[in-house]
Amino acid sequence: MAERDDDEPDDRGGDFDADELAMLRQLFRDEAHEALEAVTARALATGAGPPAPDAVGEMMRVTHTLKGSAGTVGMDAMVDLAHRLESALALLRGGGWTAAVADQIIEIADGMRLHVDALDRPDDAAAQATRVRGLVASLASALGGRVESSPRGPRLAVPPRPRPPTDSDGVVATPIELGDTTRTIRTGADLSAAVPDGRAMLRVEPERVDALMSAAGELLFDRTRIERRVHLLRSLARDLTRSRHLLRDEIGPLRVATGDADRARIEGRLVTIERDLAAQATQLTQTTAALFDETEALRRTIGELQKGLLRMRMQTARSLFARLARSLRAFSRTAGARIELRTHGDDTEFDKALAEQLADPLVQIVRNAIVHGIEPAVERVARGKSPVGTLTIAARQEGGLVIFELTDDGRGIDPHALRERFVATGRWTPARAQLASDADVLHALFDAGVSSKDEADELAGRGIGLDLVRETVARLGGEIQLQSTPGRGTTFTLRLPVTTAVAQAMLFKVGGQVYALPQVHVVETTQIDGAAQTVPLRHEQLPVVRLEQLLATGGAAIDSGPVAESTGRRTAIVVAYAGKGVVCTVDKIVGPREIVVRPLGPLLAPLPLYAGATISGSGKVQLILDPAALVRIAHPGAVAIAPSAGGATTSSAGRALVVDDSRAIREALTAMLARDGWIVDVAEDGAGAWHMVQQLRYDLLITDLEMPRMNGFELIARLRRDKTLADLPVVVITSRASSENRRRARELGARAMVGKPITRRKLQDAIAGT
Amino acid sequence: MADLRNVIVFALGGARWAAEIRHVREVASLGFVTAVPTAPPGIAGVFNLRGTIVPVLDVLALVGRAPHLPPRQGDGALIVEVDGAIAAIRVDNVDEVASLAVAPADGEPVTISDSRGRPVTLIDPATLLRRALAAAQAVRATDAADLADATLSDWPRPIDALTGAIEPPEFDGDTTIG
Repeated sequence: MAERDDDEPDDRGGDFDADELAMLRQLFRDEAHEALEAVTARALATGAGPPAPDAVGEMMRVTHTLKGSAGTVGMDAMVDLAHRLESALALLRGGGWTAAVADQIIEIADGMRLHVDALDRPDDAAAQATRVRGLVASLASALGGRVESSPRGPRLAVPPRPRPPTDSDGVVATPIELGDTTRTIRTGADLSAAVPDGRAMLRVEPERVDALMSAAGELLFDRTRIERRVHLLRSLARDLTRSRHLLRDEIGPLRVATGDADRARIEGRLVTIERDLAAQATQLTQTTAALFDETEALRRTIGELQKGLLRMRMQTARSLFARLARSLRAFSRTAGARIELRTHGDDTEFDKALAEQLADPLVQIVRNAIVHGIEPAVERVARGKSPVGTLTIAARQEGGLVIFELTDDGRGIDPHALRERFVATGRWTPARAQLASDADVLHALFDAGVSSKDEADELAGRGIGLDLVRETVARLGGEIQLQSTPGRGTTFTLRLPVTTAVAQAMLFKVGGQVYALPQVHVVETTQIDGAAQTVPLRHEQLPVVRLEQLLATGGAAIDSGPVAESTGRRTAIVVAYAGKGVVCTVDKIVGPREIVVRPLGPLLAPLPLYAGATISGSGKVQLILDPAALVRIAHPGAVAIAPSAGGATTSSAGRALVVDDSRAIREALTAMLARDGWIVDVAEDGAGAWHMVQQLRYDLLITDLEMPRMNGFELIARLRRDKTLADLPVVVITSRASSENRRRARELGARAMVGKPITRRKLQDAIAGT
Repeated sequence: MADLRNVIVFALGGARWAAEIRHVREVASLGFVTAVPTAPPGIAGVFNLRGTIVPVLDVLALVGRAPHLPPRQGDGALIVEVDGAIAAIRVDNVDEVASLAVAPADGEPVTISDSRGRPVTLIDPATLLRRALAAAQAVRATDAADLADATLSDWPRPIDALTGAIEPPEFDGDTTIG
């Protein structure tokens, strides 16, 4: 590769096109942040020193790598800064570490971070660079040395690759492995080697992953819905079996009485029905069981999908720990305490979102440990402890959980004193205090009222904000535990799912409570006329569901009558589900949020209105409405009367017999007819139908033509020959292809035809034609 | 014959009640209670117990009396767990833990005597949970749409696969068949 003489940062066009360069620089920014955080963390961990044997070497290594990366993407100012820092660090190898040095290193790293962040604003970036150069110079002179600007070298030390991908460069294409790739981006120190080779990785914008995450979250709702129906089917199958047993028990005594011809005929018919029912019940049970298994498979697949997507967003604990280290340093300075930080499991991976959400709670715990946990040095020495307190933060993965343990070696918490305090302040009754175990007493510190009380705080040695810590952890689907040995120290253990099922939701208020709707089903928010029953929207009249009535609580219950008093304009959310729209009036829109979906539990899962729940930032349960339920409520026209559920139609169109050997078509026709008010019976072929028409009077017969045993032509012919049945209107189901069949059926006396595929409208037209 | 059992005695709605301690996981204070519209009267709301969504049961409603006032944050509650289902029983106050003579009662509330001979009503948390579940399922059963939709959209495909029926129906936009 030829040496490049130009040093214009933007003249990298020979290696990368503009998009690639922008992409690389974004990656570099992330990488620079991680590298600088690593330097900061090392400096913080060392504090007043002396540094661990590898600490200075590690900082130099990270800085050196940063220099190489900066060179690759053409950020010469950064190359220079990194070079200077590296040189200054080199001076430390011989010793000379002090708290002041640590401070200076941290300040330099912070300055370089600001420089990186300001790259889009050249003036600011240059100003920061100048400042950093000054800081490094003063550090170097304090250490008795000096640093020089970087030679032209570093960029060339890491030769950029030619523009990928070309056939001629002979690099073997590497299979795309998302998980490993993510690791490479995040932890791979050698950015220059990893990034420019486009074929080894799949570059994805975070937004795209988030969109997929959101869709996967939506699958959770769908799964919940399906599971609810499967359970319904199961109980229906049980009911059917029970009904069959009742019928069988009724037939039994009939058999005793013999000799009567009529009774024998009825009995024979009942026995047949009972046998059919038994067969159908068995089939329903089997199908439901299979469906149940398939939902289980679906559940697993959705779980895998989410896990895979989340792995794309994984990051290590390193940057989170660095942030904690910074906070620890700031707090312990304020408190004048000497505390050593130890971290374990820096490479533990978890969702980036989790890291963002957890940072504040963990900082809170660190702060508590410093303010309340770790004793002043004098007190520590008196107790026979080292004057320097220790705070250990450990992360590890166990199964699907990431576990954080924050342990201090401070004074601990005395549950007996705490118990007395709770009773004395009237928070607990003596009986309650007596019942509570030590663990319960400690955990009461997480209760809102307790931890905000100053006096309890002083006595307990713990407190402010612990309620918020617990709520955040709970919201993320995790739990927090507290163990303490008085005099020895305290351990907070956080267990959280590595993978957090996050969904986008629209939050809104009704009747003083906040509810959520899955965002993918929210079309828009709007203002509507408060009295409107329907609202025009894009050439459609959408029905209005008044959530203030549907979600009325307490004595008001659900007022089904039309209420006209809600006049004026009202805020509303337009919801779409399965191609149907509905407008829901609400009191107030709260706005879109990212929520963690939680199950409602077995007692509430049967309620059809809810798809789940979420826990708000302040720990309140918020219910998630099921858009499917809202659409069903708004479109009662779509509600068919189940064929076997008693047939209690409000206005019956009559009794119809559907004859077809395809069960699918029988079911579909039954549903369509039932929706139009027909009571529907079914037969599998002409023979079955012939048997049934002789026993019951039908107002309509719909038959297929090709069927086993007795086909449609034969059935129609027989009907026409029978005096009492000759007038029964017959609709024939035909295939488009068979015009010969149509002619023949019409000749036989079929009144109307309906061609496949059958639609409800076609069917209605055909029936009207009879 | 009556056995001696460990029970928690609590006050609720001006009366005294007891529940066997083996069903009680913990005694807790209710967090913010979210009302659940359309839930049966026996389920008075839900709250967040350390990340788990727990329904709050109204014992009075579940034993057929007038429902209690809605539960509020800070009210005491017994957290009961039966077969993996968790619920909170709202109480006015926890009075004592005692060993009392308990007669078998098939899960129905039964009056027993406390350590000082005063009457307390012994309830069975398992029975209460079953009743609450049955009440919730009754809400579902009235939702006939569930059934019809299931028939429409869920059946044709599996049945076709099972019976090998020819030419599955196609439907256009004027029905809900997908």
